Amino acid sequence: MQTKQAITAFLHSKGFQLLLVTFAVLAVLPIFITDSFFLYILTLIFVFAIYAASWNFLANSGQGSLGHALFLGIGGFSSAIVGGRITTALIGAMGVTRMPIGALSVLIQVLVLLVGGLVSAGIGLLIGLACVRLKTWYLAMVTFGFSVIASTLSSQFDSFTNGINGFAPATFVPGGYPFYILVIAFAAASVAAMYLIMKSRMGLAFRAIHGNEAEAKMIGINTAKYKLIAFVISTFFAGIAGGLYAFFTRFIDNSIFSPANSFLPLIMSVIGGLGTVAGPVIGAIFFISIQQIFALPSVVNYLQTSLGSVFPGVNNVGPPISYLIIGVILLLIVIFTPKGLIALFRRFYSYITAKPQPKEIKTK
Amino acid sequence: MDITAPTIILTLVWGVAIGCIYILLATGLNIIFGVMKLVNFAHGQLLMIGAFLTWSISVSLGLNAYAAIVVSMVVVAALGVAVERLTFRRVLGTDKLNEIFVSLGLIYIFENAAMLLWGTGSKQITSPFYGSSLSLPGISITYDRIVAVFVVIAALVAFGLLLKKTKIGLAMQATSQVSSAAMLMGINVEKIYMFTFALGAALAALAGGLYGVIFSFDFQVGAMPTIIAFAIIILGGLGSIKGAIVGGLLYGIAEQLATLFLGGIWGSAVAFALLIVVLIIKPTGLFGQKGE
Repeated sequence: MQTKQAITAFLHSKGFQLLLVTFAVLAVLPIFITDSFFLYILTLIFVFAIYAASWNFLANSGQGSLGHALFLGIGGFSSAIVGGRITTALIGAMGVTRMPIGALSVLIQVLVLLVGGLVSAGIGLLIGLACVRLKTWYLAMVTFGFSVIASTLSSQFDSFTNGINGFAPATFVPGGYPFYILVIAFAAASVAAMYLIMKSRMGLAFRAIHGNEAEAKMIGINTAKYKLIAFVISTFFAGIAGGLYAFFTRFIDNSIFSPANSFLPLIMSVIGGLGTVAGPVIGAIFFISIQQIFALPSVVNYLQTSLGSVFPGVNNVGPPISYLIIGVILLLIVIFTPKGLIALFRRFYSYITAKPQPKEIKTK
Repeated sequence: MDITAPTIILTLVWGVAIGCIYILLATGLNIIFGVMKLVNFAHGQLLMIGAFLTWSISVSLGLNAYAAIVVSMVVVAALGVAVERLTFRRVLGTDKLNEIFVSLGLIYIFENAAMLLWGTGSKQITSPFYGSSLSLPGISITYDRIVAVFVVIAALVAFGLLLKKTKIGLAMQATSQVSSAAMLMGINVEKIYMFTFALGAALAALAGGLYGVIFSFDFQVGAMPTIIAFAIIILGGLGSIKGAIVGGLLYGIAEQLATLFLGGIWGSAVAFALLIVVLIIKPTGLFGQKGE
């Protein structure tokens, strides 16, 4: 009953309407701006928004993972491999040369992505069991270690994973606008689901553990159980993001397990605003935009002609400059507005809508 | 490769040599953690900068590689002071996660600046002992590895003496125990923080120089050693110097043995598996105290 009430309340809440409007606008946006590169960036942003949100969700339960690329990779590999097997079987059964695109293939795509999420969540359950007693640095190290081990295992069983050379997953939903709609749908559903969970009693337990684990235990919360649940939910969504990433970029290899991919969701969450719903999404928009602007041919050409002679050791000065800028911005945000860009927006919003008030009451 | 007794001995020696470099890095991280209660995940990037500076100095000035290491240690120590003053000091005492975020920002800045300055290709520092090795029956060990082991031992002894016998070392110990009490005793804690960070950075640069003499390196070289050094500290217990030494040797040997018996890709995987097993059995590390 309580869940039903919570969902009804959520459907009528301002936050949900805002979310709905935002995603609806985003869904129709590419109809007006028909640039393929713009569409590419938008799709990438929302794939990573799911990934960053999944990390942020785990951080909300007081667990900071430094190896989330493991789950991105497991989701990507398992959905791509399962998708490949299904395609082969179906093509054989139907006697055609390639998978026909239609309602069936879209359904298969969704199911395959869910399989990726479930496999990732299954592995997440096992790793979560190992991690449940660990805290802070120790947890970070162990999760990182598992992502290194996963990369090695993927190379070892290369005949099964094809991770060394990489491979292209089968096509179920054509790239471009159709795939973008798929990503937007998944992003909206994932963000809404995680938001709902955080608002529920379970979410309250997560936040209590995040606040103070010993106290949470004292008031009767089964901390081990809830930490494990948070781990499983987070890894499920990370797996979904991994599947979307593999099917979107049409390629997957062992480099998906790289430490850089593990650091991404942290950086996005921090830039946007740690612990908030919109934070990871804003962070993903910000990060991917800067990264991709510096990959634009015109920007690269300009930088290469003006700076290429200064830095002769680099073929393309675009990417390092973009990451330098992101690094500096990250430092500035952590030092000056630790609550992220969203806090800046909020401050700006309350500044322009401010009414004369007696004196602001300071809250922590 | 045939697995014979000499091969195993050679592997152990290599494990000790690489373990020594990890120990240097781990000791620097550990002293910074002990005194400032701060974890600098960008520590390996200081190693990387140290290696590149040593390379540049020895190439452009034609200096002996080991003398160049000393110069790069001084420069990196100064860089460490700047990093401490400009970034870490501002988030000290706030949420623990902020330190990780600052480190990530620094990693992005250092790696990409190094990529711009020194390019994407890999480099190696040519030492005076280049190409010569000590031949024993069945095995031969390059002099550079032997020198590295002795340099590390000397550095650790000097470090121990600094900590136990000098005034500033005692002040560091006092600060690491209770910084507010140290402040009351007239110790300038901010200066101690600065000195500690500079010392840790210099040790990282030394590790970088030795690494660059033994192995080839590029701008991404810092990432794994940081994590490994951190794993070693955790293996040995945060804040324990003895633990760092035991952990470093254990890690280096485990990595090299795994590479020998299972193949190159297994090196770090086995070492991390060891770490995970230790932490699952004893969540605060081998020599760690309870708490935090």
